[in-house]
Amino acid sequence: MFVHIFRYRLKCLFKDKVTIFWTMIFPLVLATFFQLALANIGNNERFSPIEVAVVNDENYNNNQIFKTVLNEVSTGEERIFNLQTVTLENAARLLQDGEIAGYMVAETPVRLVVSKSGLRQNIIKIFLDRFMQTSSAAMAVRAQDFDSIGKEVLEEVSISKAEPNIHLNYFYSLIAMACFYGSLFGLREVMEIQADNSSIAARINIAPTHKLKAFIYSMCASFFIHIVELLILLIYLILVLKVDFGARIGYVLLTTIIGSIAGVSFGAIVSALIKKKEGLKIAILITFSMVCSFLAGMMMHSIKYSVSENVPILSYLNPVNLLTDALYSLHFFDSLSRYWLNMALLTMFILVFWFGTYFIVRRRKYASI
Amino acid sequence: MVIRVKNLVKRYGNLVALDHLSLDVKEGEIFGLLGPNGSGKTTAINCILSLLKFDKGDIEVFNKPMTPESYDTKRDIGIVMQNVAVYKELTVYENIDYFCGLYVPDKVKRKQLVDEAIQFVGLEDYVKFQPKKLSGGLLRRLNIACGIAHKPKLIILDEPTVAVDPQSRNKILEGILELNRQGATIVYTSHYMEEVEQICSRILIIDKGKAIASGTKEELKNMITIGEKITLQTYGLTPEQISAAGNLPNVLSAEYNGSNLVIKSTKGKNNLESVLDFAKQEGIQFGTIYSELPTLNDVFLEITGKELRD
Ligand SMILES: Nc1ncnc2c1ncn2[C@@H]1O[C@H](COP(=O)(O)OP(=O)(O)O)[C@@H](O)[C@H]1O
Ligand SMILES: [Mg+2]
Repeated sequence: MFVHIFRYRLKCLFKDKVTIFWTMIFPLVLATFFQLALANIGNNERFSPIEVAVVNDENYNNNQIFKTVLNEVSTGEERIFNLQTVTLENAARLLQDGEIAGYMVAETPVRLVVSKSGLRQNIIKIFLDRFMQTSSAAMAVRAQDFDSIGKEVLEEVSISKAEPNIHLNYFYSLIAMACFYGSLFGLREVMEIQADNSSIAARINIAPTHKLKAFIYSMCASFFIHIVELLILLIYLILVLKVDFGARIGYVLLTTIIGSIAGVSFGAIVSALIKKKEGLKIAILITFSMVCSFLAGMMMHSIKYSVSENVPILSYLNPVNLLTDALYSLHFFDSLSRYWLNMALLTMFILVFWFGTYFIVRRRKYASI
Repeated sequence: MVIRVKNLVKRYGNLVALDHLSLDVKEGEIFGLLGPNGSGKTTAINCILSLLKFDKGDIEVFNKPMTPESYDTKRDIGIVMQNVAVYKELTVYENIDYFCGLYVPDKVKRKQLVDEAIQFVGLEDYVKFQPKKLSGGLLRRLNIACGIAHKPKLIILDEPTVAVDPQSRNKILEGILELNRQGATIVYTSHYMEEVEQICSRILIIDKGKAIASGTKEELKNMITIGEKITLQTYGLTPEQISAAGNLPNVLSAEYNGSNLVIKSTKGKNNLESVLDFAKQEGIQFGTIYSELPTLNDVFLEITGKELRD
């Protein structure tokens, strides 16, 4: 019976053009657009130098090495900084007005003053750390080395996780969104097992087949198809769009599979809860997936951060955000603890969806058809 | 007894859809459930199939109480729903095979059953078609094939001929008779009295969820006083002539609409003759004259005071 239902279910779902469009074609197209749009943004961001200031005091003027290196990395086409040499009062004022990302005071070690943390502040920090290490290791720092320090910092900045950060987040939330578009499969599964939802379901309820078993068998087909679709999306991202997910591709895969199960199951519970027309159910699911993806930073990555700063609970209750955050932490943290936290929360969501669906679908007689 | 329903009550909120409905379906018969739209036919079927919760009553199928878990009973039931229920993505063959497969796991046996069902409804030329490419009548036939392919002992058809062209309709009615000849007990619901009269061996007429009459069509017609209806096409009758016609022996009523005189009389051998004599005597010129036996519509009309047709 499993093979019979599973096989025909696959046939049905593969030929369901609307669902296939939303769950596979749409994410592929969106990914392509992202890539095209982000290619331009990326180029602009990489080469915009950071506004900084250094306090023009006795220490600074005596520290020839620091002075030379700082000026070196602040000149030329590929400079890191737009440097201003100012008094302490002016530096503080510039910082307060937001004209500069931070200012440096040439004490030993060199002190960095910033008003908030962020990407640009990090780059200044990396530069200073680099400078300290090099100047303390080599007793005499030669003028020729300055150039290389500047380049290294620049390189470190561009390969450091800070820069692709912005880009990858779009693709993470895209994957998460594609996972949740799988809810369309779950929706259909419930529609076609609840006799008060469709005549096909009534027919299956009348057959001598255990209803829950039939439901589980055909859910398996939905999971299967959706996971295959997501694999195609991943392959497309990696091989065609050349998105670099780093070394933990196995975890990315696991996350995607769990995400798919969460998405399909979410559709099932919504479909079971809302006893309305199919069109309304679809509208609710698409809207929900879109809003969650938006809050998880699909359109503007800053949304993700402002949600997690201002309404942290929401970022834990947003399953799409759990997915993006799981992928994000795979890439940016060596430790997997944040990843597993996200996955655990997601698994809890899945269990809630399953139990909820079970309690609704297990009923076998209807008050009204 | 194949189906036994006792005092079935089903409410949708305030609406009483079935009001102490009782019915028995005997093995081998074609049982007709006749009633206008909204009289509760589909509701009754869904209760019998244990799809609907009901407020009161007992239902037995094949002498066992019917529940959603009565798998052995369900295996012997075939149902053709009022709404077409097929997968739009699957072909004609695949649809029949899918539903048949829920009853018959064995592949070889199933293939034969599916082929027979396709032949039975005459869809041989369309096996690879998707439902959207089928006309309304062919779609209905596919719907029937999906319901009966597993050769059930009891077949329930809920208005299988709604919105069907006359050719498909005849094919469907003949098919039902054939299934019955092959041994299946049939429950047939319809609001077309002609169909029910044509094929059913026993009929239950329901209205507003209540059984109002049951029996063979002869028995039903015997229940009412009208035995014959004679229509005379003629012009310019005087009121005196009309009331004289009403006073003929056996005549229950005479109604005239300016072109047709309709005389209803009780059963009797010489009704037509006496009307003819009357016309001759009065010097009434008429175009045509014909006599009809009462229909189920007359039965319905006499019991409920309204027409069965919508
Ligand atoms: N799901 C429902 N909710 C409320 N009322 C219903 C529902 N289904 C049917 N009814 C009402 O119950 C009555 C019987 O309907 P139904 O069994 O479909 O009649 P039939 O099949 O004879 O046309 C009708 O008045 C109909 O409006
Ligand atoms: Mg009906």
